[in-house]
Order: sequence, then structure tokens, then C-alpha cells
Amino acid sequence: MQYMKAGKGGMLDRELKKGSAELLILSLVETQPRHGYEISKLIEARSDGALSFRVASLYPLLYRLEKRGWIQGRWLEKAGQRRRRYYRLTAAGADVLASQRSTWRNFAAAINRIAGVEPV
Amino acid sequence: MRERNDIAEEIAQHLEDRYEELRAQGLSHEQASRDAERQVRHLARELNAVGQVVPGPPSRPHDPIASLWGSWGSIWLDFRYACRMLAKRPGFSAVVIVTLALGIGATTAIFSVVDGVMLRPLPFPKIDRILMLRERTIDGRAMSVSWPDFQDWQQQNTVFDHVGVFRPTSVNLTGGDRAERLDATLASSGLFGAMGLQPILGRAFSEAEDRAGTDRVAVISERLWRRRFGGDPSLVGRTIALSGDTYSVIGVMPQGMRFPSRLTDVWLPLGLFVDGMPPRGAHPGLTAVARMKAGTTLERAETEMDTIAQRLAAQYPASNKNTRVIVTPYYEQIVQNIRPALVALTCAVAVVLLIGCANLANLTLSKSEARAREIAVRAALGAARWRVVQQLVVESLVLAAAGGLLGALLAAWAVRAFVASQPASIPRIDLIAVDLRVLAFTGVVSIATALLVGLAPALRASAPDLLTTLREASRGTAGVGARRLRAALVVGEIALALVLLVGAGLMVRSFNRLMAINPGFDPERVVTARLMLPEKTYPDRAGWTRFHRELLRRLGGVAGIEAAAVNSAVPLEGGGSEAPVIKEGDAMPTPDRPAATTLFQTTSPGYFQAMGIPLVRGRAFTERDTADAPPVVIVDETLVRKVFGDVNPIGKRIAFELAGGHGPHAEPRWREVVGVVGHVKHYGLSVEPPFVQLYTPIEQLPTYWQPRGPAMALVVRTTMPARTLADVIRGELAAMDRDVPLYGVRTMDDYLAQSTEQQRLSVMLLGGFGGLALVLAVVGIYGVLSYIVGQRTQEIGIRIALGATRRDVLRLVLGQGLRLTALGLAIGLAASIAASRLIASLLYEVSPRDPATLAALAGLLGAVALAAVAVPALRATHVSPIDALRSE
Repeated sequence: MQYMKAGKGGMLDRELKKGSAELLILSLVETQPRHGYEISKLIEARSDGALSFRVASLYPLLYRLEKRGWIQGRWLEKAGQRRRRYYRLTAAGADVLASQRSTWRNFAAAINRIAGVEPV
Repeated sequence: MRERNDIAEEIAQHLEDRYEELRAQGLSHEQASRDAERQVRHLARELNAVGQVVPGPPSRPHDPIASLWGSWGSIWLDFRYACRMLAKRPGFSAVVIVTLALGIGATTAIFSVVDGVMLRPLPFPKIDRILMLRERTIDGRAMSVSWPDFQDWQQQNTVFDHVGVFRPTSVNLTGGDRAERLDATLASSGLFGAMGLQPILGRAFSEAEDRAGTDRVAVISERLWRRRFGGDPSLVGRTIALSGDTYSVIGVMPQGMRFPSRLTDVWLPLGLFVDGMPPRGAHPGLTAVARMKAGTTLERAETEMDTIAQRLAAQYPASNKNTRVIVTPYYEQIVQNIRPALVALTCAVAVVLLIGCANLANLTLSKSEARAREIAVRAALGAARWRVVQQLVVESLVLAAAGGLLGALLAAWAVRAFVASQPASIPRIDLIAVDLRVLAFTGVVSIATALLVGLAPALRASAPDLLTTLREASRGTAGVGARRLRAALVVGEIALALVLLVGAGLMVRSFNRLMAINPGFDPERVVTARLMLPEKTYPDRAGWTRFHRELLRRLGGVAGIEAAAVNSAVPLEGGGSEAPVIKEGDAMPTPDRPAATTLFQTTSPGYFQAMGIPLVRGRAFTERDTADAPPVVIVDETLVRKVFGDVNPIGKRIAFELAGGHGPHAEPRWREVVGVVGHVKHYGLSVEPPFVQLYTPIEQLPTYWQPRGPAMALVVRTTMPARTLADVIRGELAAMDRDVPLYGVRTMDDYLAQSTEQQRLSVMLLGGFGGLALVLAVVGIYGVLSYIVGQRTQEIGIRIALGATRRDVLRLVLGQGLRLTALGLAIGLAASIAASRLIASLLYEVSPRDPATLAALAGLLGAVALAAVAVPALRATHVSPIDALRSE
């Protein structure tokens, strides 16, 4: 299943991407609730365009994360704007995020050690 | 809990955000749209490849109601979604619901009247077999039935199971706290069989009771039995006092026996009166009613009655030469007067509802275009076309349900107020109510409305041309198809509104003509009431006359009474007796050379003054016109014209009492004409049978009235309110005779209002519907023109940029609006002329194609439509080319 299209130079494994996509979304809604378009813009911006979501991938993923109880969406209407659905991290989602972060950290550290890449 | 619709909305917003961002970065509309399309195409492909990423409606474990309903769950979800969507747009929803409530409410109210009057089955079994029989002259004038003729019909016919005869009358029920006047009917035994109803208690009349010398027996109504006798089953066999005589009650008829009127409480056997029946050729107020045998047709019954009438004509040429029979189905007779008005009103209300639907279809169309992108994305997400249609139709249904509910409440309130006003011109008024039948009708109308309003836009909006829709939606322009549909709706609305306005306008004109009629008397401050003297206490002329004279003497002394008199009839009430009239020197009338027919009344001195009837010539009656004085008569102007021509009639002699009946041996009783009065509209404002009129003094009763005079009407010109006056009169009556009831206390203004009541109601309702239609049509054309101008803002901006003047722009937009209006008016005029037959029978001295009315209302509608078109047109001239282009 393809969630992200490969950006310039980004050649990530499917499994890796799947796990990383969830990690990215959970991270982005950790500090404040965000809506779908904002999430996709942030991923694109913070990865300098290396990563970007397709519409067809983002929303079903958000749906699934919500169904698992990791995030919660809520329609909010702000004055002068159309209503948007904002997602925030749930307690369960925070646990998952913590464990995924440590997995990723270990994983990335292992790769770095083997490949001899300088730590960022 | 997430729903498919939520995701669709999120994705649609995402695409919009993306589009706006790309445009902000300086991409052209096409480039930005292409990006959105690419995303959607990808989306569709991906979803198809992946399968159901977003679960479909059937499995929805989170919503207990939806899963309970299985595959119906999708409708439940649509319902909830619809409620949310409508709550989000309260203005739109309110406009729609109020429009629907008005349309559906009016339709429901009119239907409840139609249902009560025409559709609800009457309680008589096999009512289509019940016929009313009357006699008529060969040239078509209706008469009551001659008693000997009826007896021959009874013996000779082979088509009826039962045939009976009746004559309405009234009786005084005494023996309680005070005398009570009841509607009664003299009836032969066949009447009950003809109506097909059995008594709930005791028995009806037998044939023995049709013959002279029968016992005094009575059948009473269930209503009277419960009201006055507490529903006591032992009443049968006991006696009651009616008009001073003792009658034994033999039976109680069920509630449904509202015959001949819904107020009839007592039936008395005809046998008590057959001795007094006049000979063949006289028509003593009898009507016959018959029940056809099974399998007999109306045509066959008519043919047979005609055969019998011709046989009698051959047998008794002196009296029956020109006599035939009128056969009317009973049901027809009940509804025939009201039907044209009800049909016209039903059509009118349907037109209002249609116009409302057209408006709402337009609104929904605009809304569904605004939502086209959301719908397109949902389609892209794999929603089947029918699911999208279902969603939109469910939304319409929710609106229609709300409108229907509110409409039903409106109708219930309106109908209650209507029934409470007791319009006398509506038969079976007590059966009119908003009940389950009517509510079922309302439900059907609401659903039909929802489908009418929602289906066409829904089908259009769900058109599978996804890319076009997305592109158009993002640009905010409508397709050609939608524009045509919109234009057609406006043209239809204007046409329908014109038809309705013309109908209302014609009714108003007709009503004005009617109100301008001079009734021939001065109704102001005149109160009338009826008196009935029991025959037991006042058996002859002397007592009868003495009573009236004494009553008038007492009333003459009351302060606040300007004039008081009695007369044998009340103008506009329609009752009365007619006879042929000749002047001295004329030959006696024969069936071949009939004389003029005159209405005759008998009146106390002072009647013309009390009623305000102008004395044109000669003198009024005085106290000196006693039984011993020479017989005199006062005639009206029509009698003078018809009988005397240009000759001054004062001092000449006429006769309308042709003793011995028709023929050369008749012996006329001559009376000298002493005065001429104005003609009075006796039978109603707009009805004018070809009868002339004359009056005799109260002490010189016409010979027709034996052994004493008829029930008289008291006529008082007073400064008192009617109710106070009634109390005063009742007080005087009680001092004279406690058993004489006073009833039917009414002002002449009241009679006048009642005689125009049906027209007044029709005018008010049709006028109301016409106004409603006008408002709806104007709102419709304004909405559409505004929308079109909004759509063409960019085009208009370019035109202005290219040098078009304000006037050019004005002409452009006005032209478009006026073309639609003109087309609507043309179609409406044609339709009005085509529909004129429908309303013709309701009009008085106004042609249903009255060119002035047609032109005036087309002009009015055109002018109002022009005003509605002018607003968006003027707005268009203020379009700034820069803004218009930027807004793209």
C-alpha cells in the first residue's frame, strides 16, 4: 500500500513508510489539534518537499487512526471560515506515539551505526 | 465515529484549499483545476484498487439504529445528515419550510372542506340509488309535487323499491321549562325505506299511517332523544306535546338520518294531513324521494317517470297538460351548488402549491449546484448515483415533513375557525374537520411535493460527468441544462400565477356587481324573527289576527322600536307562495295561455315602513283595511309592468285567488290596487325567478290560507341590538302566551351577508390564493434573476471593460428577465382563457374572459415582475470590471 509518493531522493520502503506515516501524523497533532490540509502542508514543508501525502492516502489514514482511538477528530467552525475537522492526540495515541518514537529512534540509530551516517 | 460524508467534505475542502493556494501562487484557473482533477482521478483509482477504504453504509456497527435497520440504515444516516445540513442553513430551511407550510396548509384546509362536503360517504346505504323527484312545467320551471300525482307515481312505477314524500315544517315542543321550536317533517312511510335507514329504537311509519285518520304518532331523532329525554329507552310508547297536540313516540331514528335537513328532529305521519291536501294541479310543497331497484339506471327511472307524467297529462289535461317530472340523484342535489366553487378552489390551491414547488425546486437547484463539488467527491469516493439521489431526496423529504407538519397545524387552525363561523352556504359543515383522512392526504401531498422539488435537481446534480461538475463548481457557473430548467420554472410560475390572479380578479369584479345590487329594502337596523302560533290555541283567523295585532300594539309602546310589523315572509329567505294573477277584463288562464305568476305575501300596516320598501304610488295599508272593508292589494312595480303595461293601476282590480282552480269555471276574488311599492329581491340577490309580487292586508288573508294565516315574521326597525330586542319581544310574548316560541332572530344585514356568503368566501379564498401566488412568483423570478446576474458577473465585467455602457448592461439583464416574464404572461393568458369555463358558473354578470380583467392583471403581474427584475439588473450595472475579473 502506497501512502506517500517518493519525493526527490526519498526511497523508503513500504513497511517503513507505513510505520513512518503514522508516526508523522501522531507527531504533528501532539502539541495542538490540526486539520487535514494543515497536516499535509506541514509534512511537505518540514520535509522540504521530500515527503508529501496524496489526498487519497491521508484521509483514509486519518480515519483509521481515529478508529483505533489514537486520534480524535472534531468539527470546529471559526468565524468567517468554513468548518474544518481538527484532530488531536488521545491518551492512547500518546502511548503509541511514545513507543513508535523509541522504536524509530532505535531503528534509525541502528541504521546509522551500520551505514556510517553521521547522526543528525 | 466517522462517516463517509465527513470524509467527502474534508476531501472537498482539501481540494479547495489546494486550489486557492495554487491560485495564490499565481497559477491560472485551468492549471489549478487540473491539479485538483488529478488528485480526484488518483483518488478514485486508488480507492477502486484498494477496495473499501471507507466502509459503505450497510455495515455501520457504531450506529445502533442504522445497524438495526440493516440496509435501511443508509436512509437513517441520510436523515441525520439532512437534519444537520438543514440546521446549518437556517435561513434557507426557514424559507423552504414556510413556503411549504403555506402551500400544504392551504391544500389541506381546502381538501378537508372538499372531503367533508363531497367525498365523505353519507350515512345512507347505496346512496347512488336515492333520487329526488319534483314536478316541473314543460318549459322547465320547478314545482313541488301534487299529492294525487304522487299517489299515481307510487302505484304505477316499476323502477323503485320505495318511494316516499315529505314536506318540511316546524313544531313547538312544549312540556318542559319553555317552548322549543324544532325542525320537523311530514313524511309518508316510504321515506324511511327510500333513505334506507332503520330506527335504532321502536319502528318507523307503516302504510296505515299514510292514510287519513291515523293516530297522532311521531318519530324523533337520536339527537333530540338524547338531548331532551336523556336517551331513555322507555320513551317509545310515551307521549310528547308538539304544537299543542299530544303525539306518542313510536321510534327513534339514528344519528345518520339527517333528512331532509341535518337539523330535522321530528317526523310526523303524512296521514294526519292528507285530508287537507289540495286537488291535482296544486303543488302543496311536497317533494318525493325514491330508492331505485337494484340494477335500475338513472336513465331508465327518468324514462319511466316521463312516461307516467305523459300518461297523467293525457288523463288530466286541465291540470297536468304541461306537467313533467324532474329526477335528481340525491347526492347531486346536496353538492350541486357548492361543487363549482370547491372545484375552482381546489384548482387554485393546487396552483399555489405548484408555484411554491417551482420556487423550492429553484432554490434546491441553486443549493445543489453550490454543493456540486461535495457531491462530485462523494461520487468519486465510490458512492453510487442512486445513493447521491437518495441523500438529496431524503433532504427534500425532511423539509417537506417539517412543512407538512406546520401546514397541518395551520390547516387545523383555519378549518376550526371556518367551521366555527358557521357558514350556512356550505352543506354538511359539521362534518368538516382535519382528521386522519385529511392528515393522510396531507402526508401524500407532502411526499409528492418532496419528490417534485427534490428529484429533478437531485438527478441533475448527480449527473455522472464528474470532471465537468468539479470544474463548473469551482468556477461557480451553472450548466446549460440547469439554466434552462430554471427559466422554465420561472415561466411556469408566472403563467400559473396569472391564471390564479385572473380567477381572483373575476371573482372580485363579480362580487362587486353583486354588492351593488339594490335589494329593494333598507336593511339597516332591521331585525326579523319568526313566530309560530300553536294551532290548538289559535285555530282560526280571528284568534290568529288578534294575537298579531296585540303583539304589535305592545311592541309599538317600547322605547327604541321605531316601527314594527309582521309579514308572511322574509326577503332573501326565498320561501313564499306563488299563484297566477290576472287583471279585470283578462280571460282566465289556461295551460296554453298561462297568466303571470305572482309571489303573494300578507302584511300588517307599517311593514313597508319597517322594512324600508319605497311606496311608489298610492297608499300603504292602514288599520281600516279590515276583513269587512273592500278587499285591497298592493302590488310591486314588476307586476304593474307585466300586467298593466303603461296604465296607472291604482283603482283597477286584479285577482290571484282563482277559486275553483284553473279553467273557465274559476271564480276570481277581485281586489282593488291601492298602492305600488318597489320590487324586493325576495329569492336572493343574484337569483330572479320570473315572479311579480303583491301584498294583502293581514286582515284580508288570501283564500289559500285556511283556516288561518301562516307562521309570520316579525319585522322591527330598532336602535337596539338584536339580542336585546329578542329579550324584549320574548318578554312581551311571555306576558301574552308562554307557549309561543320566538326563533330565527336575525338582522336583515345578516340575511344580506348570508345571501352573498358563498361568493364572499370564494372571493376571500381566491383573492388570498391569488395574492400568495403573486408573492411566490415574484420571489421566484427575483431569485432566479439575481442568481443569473451573479453567475454572469464576470461576463458583465468584461463587457463593461470592453466599453459597454450601464444602459447596455441594464438592457441585457432586463431583457432576459422580461423575455421570461412575457413568455409566462402569454402562456398564462392562454391558460386563463382555457380555464374560464371552470369559473363561469361562479360569476355574476361578468364574462369569464372579461378583457379588462385579463389585461389589468397581466399588467399588474408584469409590472411587479419588472420591479423584481429591475433590482438585480440595477445591481449588474454597478459591477466593477476589476472586481469581476478578480473574483474569477
